[in-house]
Amino acid sequence: MTTKKRRRNGLHPGGSYWMMYILPALAVYIFFMAYPMLDSIRLSLYNSNVVPREFVGLQNYIDLFTDKTHSTRFWGAFKNTWVFFFFHMAFQNVLGMLFAVILTNRTMRGKRFYHTIVFLPCTFAVTVTGYLFRMILSPVLSGPAFKSVGLDCLVYHWLGDEKTALAIVSLVSVWQWVGIPAMMFFAALQNVSEDVLEAAEIEGCNSWQAFWYIKYPLILPVVGMIAILTFVNNFNAFDIVYAMEGPTGPPNYATDLIGTLFYRVGVVGVNVTPPEPGIGAAISTSTFFMLLLGVIPTLKVTQTKE
Amino acid sequence: MKKHIALLIIASIVLSLASFVAAEEVTLTMGSWRNEDAEPVQQMLDKYKEISGVSIRFEPTRNTEYNANLRLQLEGGTGPDLFYSRSYTVGRKLYEDGYAMDVTDIPGVMENFDDTARHAWTADDGKVFAVPFAAVNHVVYYDKDVFAKYDLEVPTTFEELLKVCETLKENGETPFANGLAENWDILECVFCGMIPNYIGGFENRELYESGERKLNDEYFLRALSDFEKLTKYFPEGFQSVANADGPMLLGLGRAVMFIDGSWRSGAWDVDFPDFNWGAFAIPAPEGNAQAICHHSDMAITGNNATKHPEEVKGFLEWLASPEGAQIVTDCLPKGFFPMISSDVKLADEKTAGLKALSDDAIRDSRFMWNTLFELYTPLVDNLNGIANGTITVEKAADALTKLQEEIVAK
Repeated sequence: MTTKKRRRNGLHPGGSYWMMYILPALAVYIFFMAYPMLDSIRLSLYNSNVVPREFVGLQNYIDLFTDKTHSTRFWGAFKNTWVFFFFHMAFQNVLGMLFAVILTNRTMRGKRFYHTIVFLPCTFAVTVTGYLFRMILSPVLSGPAFKSVGLDCLVYHWLGDEKTALAIVSLVSVWQWVGIPAMMFFAALQNVSEDVLEAAEIEGCNSWQAFWYIKYPLILPVVGMIAILTFVNNFNAFDIVYAMEGPTGPPNYATDLIGTLFYRVGVVGVNVTPPEPGIGAAISTSTFFMLLLGVIPTLKVTQTKE
Repeated sequence: MKKHIALLIIASIVLSLASFVAAEEVTLTMGSWRNEDAEPVQQMLDKYKEISGVSIRFEPTRNTEYNANLRLQLEGGTGPDLFYSRSYTVGRKLYEDGYAMDVTDIPGVMENFDDTARHAWTADDGKVFAVPFAAVNHVVYYDKDVFAKYDLEVPTTFEELLKVCETLKENGETPFANGLAENWDILECVFCGMIPNYIGGFENRELYESGERKLNDEYFLRALSDFEKLTKYFPEGFQSVANADGPMLLGLGRAVMFIDGSWRSGAWDVDFPDFNWGAFAIPAPEGNAQAICHHSDMAITGNNATKHPEEVKGFLEWLASPEGAQIVTDCLPKGFFPMISSDVKLADEKTAGLKALSDDAIRDSRFMWNTLFELYTPLVDNLNGIANGTITVEKAADALTKLQEEIVAK
């Protein structure tokens, strides 16, 4: 044999040596992410309330979407989750953008201070925020204080009224997390080249035009990322409702999100009845595919211009 | 050199293993949903160790997650040796699935407890699957000073209670501190507390369980409409008042009465030690005998898969003995009563007072705990509707009856 194989050396070791480097990460990913997820999809095909588990095919999904006891709750939670998501898109991200633009203003004083103020709530534990606002919004606890300064209009059972509860809980969550998009937009806006902006200014461009025609298109990929993060986080939202209202999404399921529904049905059981992990897995699998359906088009739209 | 280090490591591992084996004495684990009781229960377990030499480690989980956690542990073979057993449905299921021990033959279980005490932990085959441990009463707490201020007497009938509420309301007080925010207390504490006054003891409850009596009969309708009357005296914005707000409202003087369980009686000790409270049973409507929701709450059973069955049975036997029960009672948190028939002394005066409320009354557990558990969520929903005025009492009763018929038919 005279054909010479390509020399192997330190720079070109050949073979599949690179596998060794990703193996640890891959192993962790498989065991802690991929396997549990696939197993939960498998679990959603079983009735897990009998010993041993019984294969039921798609029955859990059929129950979830059509059986009245489950479907009313599921579609209710589905709708609420969307409302919760839109509140975040409309208020958290728009306000975040606004704060970021204001904070990148070159002539503003006390930037650091405002920076801190905007970001501070993100550092609070959700349970703390939830509890604080529960007290502030409670007509029996804070009501007398509001009344004594003439703010009678604020004394209302905000968290106990089906019409206001979800909006209020969403806004509290917005209040807490507005710092995250604000900081991300802030970082992105700082990367917008000064030259471009100065050139535009000389051409007589006003600040709105500068934002809409220069800054916004340049930070669009970040806007896309934020939209995806908001989408994913809100479809998995659970903690703020749990902290402010409880796992049953009171009043009358008005604040029940997919997260709380899953927790209630799949993990702890409704009230004191045993949980139904099969139905719970069906809920989480459905949520997973919905997230996928939402994330892919958003990525397509916002990430192609790089 | 390397070899030496390796040898050293191996030697140390072997040594530590050996010492572990040599020093091994039996340590049992105990699962519970009462993580707030860790301290008193540990006291009790320490005392048990002095007596028997067996140490038991208390491993409580969060109340709302206990049922699911315990089940997962038992299914996975990592369940605690001893665990708290829920009364009726939930506990019974664990026995039927072979996890909870049959304790019928443990000395003391049949002799020292009466049928009512054992009832909540007796399976359909007549076997007892847990040693009863503690019960609670559903009561009305009230601010004694405010009652004295308006010259009010403790009401003995429901109609008198409404009059008391009216007087308080006229004077600008909030009569009750109950609310809907947590969606369990309105049913478990308030409505289940009222039901026995309207339908009577467990013999009558069983008539509803068998479907002989309907949930829209005169007794149940009266209970629902009296519940509706009571909600008129809840605080402004009661929809967002949580169960935990109740003690605070009473302590702050923002409300006068609070319907809750005796387990709540320690609530004012730390934050409002001067709060002068009393308690009375939720009064029966005129013409009905006084009854009380005396709920069988806690029992302890053994895990069938335990590695130390002798020690587990030993503990359960101690728990079922008068001597053991006295020590347990001394360590129980405030507001919990022992269920043993022997004469056990309650050291805490207030707890003794709360227990006395049920001594002469008709007693029963929570209405849907036995076989009507599926009514739990519909009941909560309908009570919410009645309190909010979005559904009439009759409509609620009819809807519940329909569900009752479905459950009974199964």
